[in-house]
Amino acid sequence: MTNDLNLRRERGNNDGGGSLQTRANTLVKAADHATPLELSSITIRYGGGKGGADAVSVVEGFDLTLHAGEMHCVAGRSGSGKTSILTVGAGLTLPTSGRVLWEGESLESMGDDEIADRRRALIGYVDQGGALIDGMSALENVLLPAVPDGEVDQRRDMAKDLLDLVGLGRRMRHRPAQLSGGERQRVAIARALILGTRVLVVDEPTASLDRASANRIISILKDTTSDGIAVLVASHDHELVRLSDTLTELI
Amino acid sequence: MNAVQRFIRSKVLLLTAAILIVAMCLSVLVQNQSQAALNRTVDENSRGLYDILVQAKAGSGGALMQPEIANGQGGISFDQLQGIRDLSGTSVAAPISLVSRVTQNLEAPRLEAMDYLGFNAGLVGTATAGQPGGTDPSKWPAAQSVLSETPKKYRLTASATSSDGASEKTLFKSTAEGSLGKARLVEEQVDGGKSIRIAGPEGETGIKFPEPAGGSEHNLFNLSVALPMAPEVTESVVAVDPVSERALLGTSGDFLAPLEKAPPADARSAEAIGRHFESLFTNGIGMEELEEGPDFLGVKLKYWAPLMTQYQQAKRSGELTGDSQAIPLIVRSGTSTDLKYSVKIEEIDDSGNVVKEIGTADRSLDKDYLPFVSKSPFALSWPGSTDYSELLGNSANFSRGLYSPATWSTNFASAPKYTDGSTAGNGATDKTATPGDWVTVNRLPEKTAGGEPVDQTQRNPVDERSYRENLETGKKLATPLAMVYGTFDPAAVQEAAGDVNRLPLGGYDPTPMTLTKDAEGKDVPDAALKPSLSATGLVSQSAGAITDYYGLAAARGYEKNASVIDAVRVRASAAGSWKQAQPEVERLANEIRDMGLEATVVAGSSREDANIFVPGYSKDDAGKESALGTVRQSWVRQDAADAVTGSLTATNLTLLFLTLCGAALLTGASTVSYIRQRRREAGTLRAMGWTQRRIRSWVLEEFAVGAGLLAVAGVVLSLLSWNLATVIVSASVLVLYLAAAFVAAQMLRHREKVDQEPQHDERLIAVDSPLTFANRQLSTNRFNAISLAVAVGVFGAAVGGLVALLIDIPRAAGASALSGLAAASVALPSIVLGLSGVAVGLVLTLVTGRFELQAKRQYLGTLQAMGWNPDMLGQVRFFENALVGAVAVPLGVLGALGVGLLLAPYAALWAAVAGLVAVLCWIPIATKVVQ
Repeated sequence: MTNDLNLRRERGNNDGGGSLQTRANTLVKAADHATPLELSSITIRYGGGKGGADAVSVVEGFDLTLHAGEMHCVAGRSGSGKTSILTVGAGLTLPTSGRVLWEGESLESMGDDEIADRRRALIGYVDQGGALIDGMSALENVLLPAVPDGEVDQRRDMAKDLLDLVGLGRRMRHRPAQLSGGERQRVAIARALILGTRVLVVDEPTASLDRASANRIISILKDTTSDGIAVLVASHDHELVRLSDTLTELI
Repeated sequence: MNAVQRFIRSKVLLLTAAILIVAMCLSVLVQNQSQAALNRTVDENSRGLYDILVQAKAGSGGALMQPEIANGQGGISFDQLQGIRDLSGTSVAAPISLVSRVTQNLEAPRLEAMDYLGFNAGLVGTATAGQPGGTDPSKWPAAQSVLSETPKKYRLTASATSSDGASEKTLFKSTAEGSLGKARLVEEQVDGGKSIRIAGPEGETGIKFPEPAGGSEHNLFNLSVALPMAPEVTESVVAVDPVSERALLGTSGDFLAPLEKAPPADARSAEAIGRHFESLFTNGIGMEELEEGPDFLGVKLKYWAPLMTQYQQAKRSGELTGDSQAIPLIVRSGTSTDLKYSVKIEEIDDSGNVVKEIGTADRSLDKDYLPFVSKSPFALSWPGSTDYSELLGNSANFSRGLYSPATWSTNFASAPKYTDGSTAGNGATDKTATPGDWVTVNRLPEKTAGGEPVDQTQRNPVDERSYRENLETGKKLATPLAMVYGTFDPAAVQEAAGDVNRLPLGGYDPTPMTLTKDAEGKDVPDAALKPSLSATGLVSQSAGAITDYYGLAAARGYEKNASVIDAVRVRASAAGSWKQAQPEVERLANEIRDMGLEATVVAGSSREDANIFVPGYSKDDAGKESALGTVRQSWVRQDAADAVTGSLTATNLTLLFLTLCGAALLTGASTVSYIRQRRREAGTLRAMGWTQRRIRSWVLEEFAVGAGLLAVAGVVLSLLSWNLATVIVSASVLVLYLAAAFVAAQMLRHREKVDQEPQHDERLIAVDSPLTFANRQLSTNRFNAISLAVAVGVFGAAVGGLVALLIDIPRAAGASALSGLAAASVALPSIVLGLSGVAVGLVLTLVTGRFELQAKRQYLGTLQAMGWNPDMLGQVRFFENALVGAVAVPLGVLGALGVGLLLAPYAALWAAVAGLVAVLCWIPIATKVVQ
């Protein structure tokens, strides 16, 4: 059965490992909305068939307001609905009920194409494990989001900068199979930032990484918030939970 | 977990094996049904009315036999006929010969205008006395006439035309003018009292055409204008043995029953028979007997009047001698000769200007025409006239019949000579008909019925192409006397001969010709050609009469055991279909050949349309010859049953083989592709210390389960169908499956360098669009992409091959009527087989494609998360399949072309097109599946 108890605690801003003074600061757009992402009374149920008798309710009445420059962590045990909340927030799946607001606009009123266009401009999504495309170099992976707008060439330098930013400047010609788990995760973060998104949605970025690699990832995420980017992260990494500004713990 | 459990767990293996087994079962089942339908169709239509055609010498030669078999050339003696009948395998041996060509003069045509003068006591008293059929005088209609009291001037234009179905020829046109008026009764004082006669009105000049046509004359009820004489009508006569002919035709030959009762040769004296009928009138004969016909040796001779009139006329002219014999005839009812006689009537003034169009009266020789019987087929009626001649009573049987006897001649119309042209893929052979000499037709008779010479200059002669061969024996025979015993309907005989394996019976069931192309080779609407006035044209109509061999002797004269039989149609006593009877029929044919005769086995034959180009068919006034064009006529395709069965069986089996081999190849491709998914499992096993050999065995055991199932299915199917082809096909499928399994197992080898891929090459095409992304993905997963492309190519080639075979079925079957029937019987099962093959192929390519489905969905999800919109994701899916399709297209097209050239060269191009279409169709279907 579902756990519908949401704990929310406020933290003061914490610069963590300190802000990264890189070119990335000039790449991301200034936040033009104080609350780029808002989830209201989100309920997510799976399955159920006819009549919904066997439906599994993963999330019930979940609320979240994500402010610019804020890192919010959704914690909880496996199967508690962390990834579901992230995919709903990123507009990749629709909730069973409730509203998803991007910069104040509800997704309900948008078509698939509009959601895709808005997501490209607003949200960078980092899947668990990075979900890099095999057969393409790290640089090409980072440039993939620029394909729909035909800005691959224009953003090539920016992609290289971002890979530099995440410490992979010398690995940009390597393929995913030639990268470690932490490196793949960092490529994925760079890829999520390539279009100057204002919200970074990250799913279990430190899972199955060693402490050093995990800290590197956490540091990068924390740095992005200092550039005004809101970060929604699902994790049960204590360090990440500790450094996040706000926390929702799913039970 | 044992091998069976693992096999069941790996659903893909189970699925592919199941698909293959279902495809095998369905294909074999459908093929069996198809084969059964084919055999049934061929068996039911493989034997015609007779099995062997015996001729004195070879006919046209070759596998396509022309339909003319009664040609007057003879060559078979009666002893030989008896020898054939004495053979143990003979059931019926029916001889046939062309007896003679007979020319008859129809009675002079006339135009009759109603000119009834009304009641006349004197006429009534004499004309109706003793005639019970006469109308009571009180019921006579009022006097009336279409002519005016005062004579008016008329112009009559008489013409005769004849059409061969392609063009019409005017045989002659003649005009006469004069005045006509209503008749009057003239009472004259003669010795002993008064006399009444009918005369024209004052001032009437009458109308007179040139000799030999007489002038106009007022009769009892009509004004009759004698018209120019009709052309000669020529008919042919064939001889059969009525008993064996009836045995050949069955109940359809019942029309020959009266001929069986004809008297023997020594009781056929024309004079004796004529005297017998004359005595009937002398002794008195009842009206009823006159209607039905007097009895003559058990046969009611309905047409005794023509016999009598011709007898009397021949006797009067001295033609009939003591040696003259009566020839019993069964005459054809109706005619297909197109001969039309018409008279245009115009009222004119003294200057010859037309004052009024009265109208045109015309008549054709038609279904009521009877050779040797019809006397006046061209009695034309003035527009608006009524025939009151029956007021005197029914005199039909008294007046019916020709006045002059027919002229019998042995100048036969020989068949055109044919030469072979090009041969089509289905075996149909084009031909050319070589014309013979020119003759002049539209002749007038040399003498009139009264014996006066006829002015031949009144007509323009018409040239017609003739094919004549003079076979006169040189012996001058006594004039025979036609004696009509009954009638026959050629259409009914043709129907009895059947449509599919119609074999030529002889001269009384001619094969129609249809004009299909003009002289320039352009298609024209199908026009049935008709025999024109000349009996020697390309198209002949059914013989005008059938007689027996005594009749032939009377007409042509021959010594005892002369070789006058043109052909003998032999039915073997062996029963059953052609396949069952073949050994007996062949044996019988050999026995007949041993007698020195040409025996052509026609059982297992079928009619087939031959396209015949006819040059030099007509000639213009300047003497320039023109071609008719191309005509179509049914000939006889020998060995059609064997050819159809052999060819369609081969096609059927090839279709089956292709379907299953295509399915097996696709299963192989699918299997190989699937095995790659199990490398991780192999790696785990290897890590557990398994050797490569042990791993391979582990996988092969699973395939062995599938192979076992296939083997069981093959054995069961082979036992059920009891067919060598099924065994071969099943074994082939099994071998292909096992080969695929071994290849697949081999691919699980350890790959030490699996992660030693080179770094990204900057020379690769940059990913900047869905197309380049799809291209990169396929490059990355090259093996699976190529596997899939090969599978799709095999699918395209298989579809092309199937389509080629389906298109090729009619050609493979041949051009005969049996082919069409047989092809129709296997068409549906073949299409089902082909479609099931295509469906299996499609399913298997999709199954192969599904192995990558999970990975594809994963990266499509990633792209979606990056903000790629649904349209772009759709493009990625499409381009991936399109690129696979692009690789598969040459494979599919070339494969289909190759298979097509191998199996059905005439349809190879279509096979290539089908292969291309199949691959192109696969692209959107696969795109949809990935979605």
